[in-house]
Amino acid sequence: MTVTQQIAPRPADLLEALRATIVGQRAVLDALVHALIAGGHIVLEGPPGLAKTLACRALASAVGGTFKRVQFTPDLLPSDIVGTRIFDQRSGDFTTSFGPIFANMVLADEINRAPAKVQSALLEAMQEGQVTIGPHTFSLPDPFVVTATMNPLDSEGTYALPLAQLDRFLVKVLVDYPTRDEELRILERFGGEPPAMPRDVVGIGDVVRWRGDARAIYVEPRLSAYAVQLVAATRAAHDYIDRGASPRATLALVALARARALVEGRTFVVPDDVRAGAAPVLRHRVALNYRALAERVDPEEIVASIIAGVPTP
Amino acid sequence: MARDPIVKRLSCAACPLLRAGLAAFALGPVFIPFPALTQVLAQLHVRTFTLSSDRYALHVGEQLHLTIVVHVDERIGQLDNVTLPDLSGFDVYGDERRCARARRGGTDCTEVVLIAPKETGDRTIDPVTLDAVDARNHRPSRFASNRVTLHVTGEPFSATDAARQVSHVALDTLVVLGAAAIPFVLGLLLLRATRRRPASPPPVAAPPAPSPLVRPVDPLLRLVVSLRDEPGRARVLAVRDELRRRVGARDEETLGDLEARDAARNKPALGDALRAIEYAAFVEEARLVDAVREALPALERLVAAADPVGAAP
Repeated sequence: MTVTQQIAPRPADLLEALRATIVGQRAVLDALVHALIAGGHIVLEGPPGLAKTLACRALASAVGGTFKRVQFTPDLLPSDIVGTRIFDQRSGDFTTSFGPIFANMVLADEINRAPAKVQSALLEAMQEGQVTIGPHTFSLPDPFVVTATMNPLDSEGTYALPLAQLDRFLVKVLVDYPTRDEELRILERFGGEPPAMPRDVVGIGDVVRWRGDARAIYVEPRLSAYAVQLVAATRAAHDYIDRGASPRATLALVALARARALVEGRTFVVPDDVRAGAAPVLRHRVALNYRALAERVDPEEIVASIIAGVPTP
Repeated sequence: MARDPIVKRLSCAACPLLRAGLAAFALGPVFIPFPALTQVLAQLHVRTFTLSSDRYALHVGEQLHLTIVVHVDERIGQLDNVTLPDLSGFDVYGDERRCARARRGGTDCTEVVLIAPKETGDRTIDPVTLDAVDARNHRPSRFASNRVTLHVTGEPFSATDAARQVSHVALDTLVVLGAAAIPFVLGLLLLRATRRRPASPPPVAAPPAPSPLVRPVDPLLRLVVSLRDEPGRARVLAVRDELRRRVGARDEETLGDLEARDAARNKPALGDALRAIEYAAFVEEARLVDAVREALPALERLVAAADPVGAAP
């Protein structure tokens, strides 16, 4: 008798499938998978044409959950996101029409093009994991991951996300241009037919299981202290910083470090795990002051110098 | 040396104190460290700044040499504004400073401090700091070395330790005798050669005898042996500190940074050892002994390598 043993997929399998679809952009793909496991939402910032949307679609397709995309525009309404109640003339009663937010993976494309009330509707759902439509409150599916994209170039007609709202994103990942070799490979891979998406490489159940596994990853006390030091360093007196990151950033940093350790097949966190997540976790949580804006200081440099100033355990 | 004219004019027998005071005032700028002058920071390219100990596991009252090494690109006679960390948990017996021109260019400044721990437990010596103007950006900067952790026990030497120390002393004595014999044999050979060839140029002076210091046993070897004998977190950390010191790791550098260096890439034994000891340093307590067991082969390979990285200073 032959016994077929089902090998449970690993996070590394998901990462491999994404890398097979997207050329380069390793930091983006790593952040997507790490944030998915850490149970957080992601904001991707980069110029158009750098596969931000494609990466999100590929992740949703590979995970096999439900996927919805919302193109944020200035005339979008909160009900376009969360849903609304519609009067049914036949039954003579109100029925609920669910918005695109009821999906495992939601892509909020160009999130900064919608006004604040729409952003708030989405961000509230991200934080609470539930949505209230009329008199009823509905839980969002589990896992529920929002991936938002922002284009830093066209600032006209955009509504910058307030710091308090950005804080709800676990990580902010910067998407940069590919290298020449990568661009050649992009041409080879995408020059002809549309690229094949990775389909159902893992299941929603696997993601839920990984999240449980990640929570059990061991964090040595010195590493917890290191995470606290990194976040606290943003709150120290600084020429260019108005406000530093909150304790939510510390929680995010440790959760992300655990996810990274899990993806790398370890049962414990090492300093590299913490430091690798520091910039994506801190960059959107540090508020620069007017002097920094006036002197056009690169916020990335400030965050990098803060991270470099904290000794590793 | 000519007497100072101001002092010369004061010949009254009743004013020796005044005379001494004036002499000190006149010669002050030459012999007395003038506070205003020491506040002027030297402009330096600091290349390496390390703190190390000749032993990491020791007993209360046992002496150790704490060595601070700074390499700068400039040619300097002395290094000012070096601040030692708080050594209140130690008896400090003395220190010695010297600066010498380095073969690779620039100057190597070394300070050796002889101390002995007063209390048991893991004693971490904080980084030594150096205040100077960073020649790379012309800004006043505070450079910091790595920190060092010592495992101090209170129990007396065991029979095994004593035997090991006796064998080390015997080995060291042989090394010293051998080293002392070399110039003697060379001298004899030179004498014979000059007798055979009377027309040869005048005899070259024999090389100076090596300093009669006992050659230290490789601290890494000692630490690895100690770790093998008694696996424990403190000993793992001591080995890790020593390895990081040898590769010149800065405080903010993680394993990833060190692995990216040429030294680790070109020497697989070093890369393996760094990774293995990093994992053992942060693994959960229940798996510590296994992690040490897994790390030992890599460490032993490194120790056994013909050219172990950063040979003992």
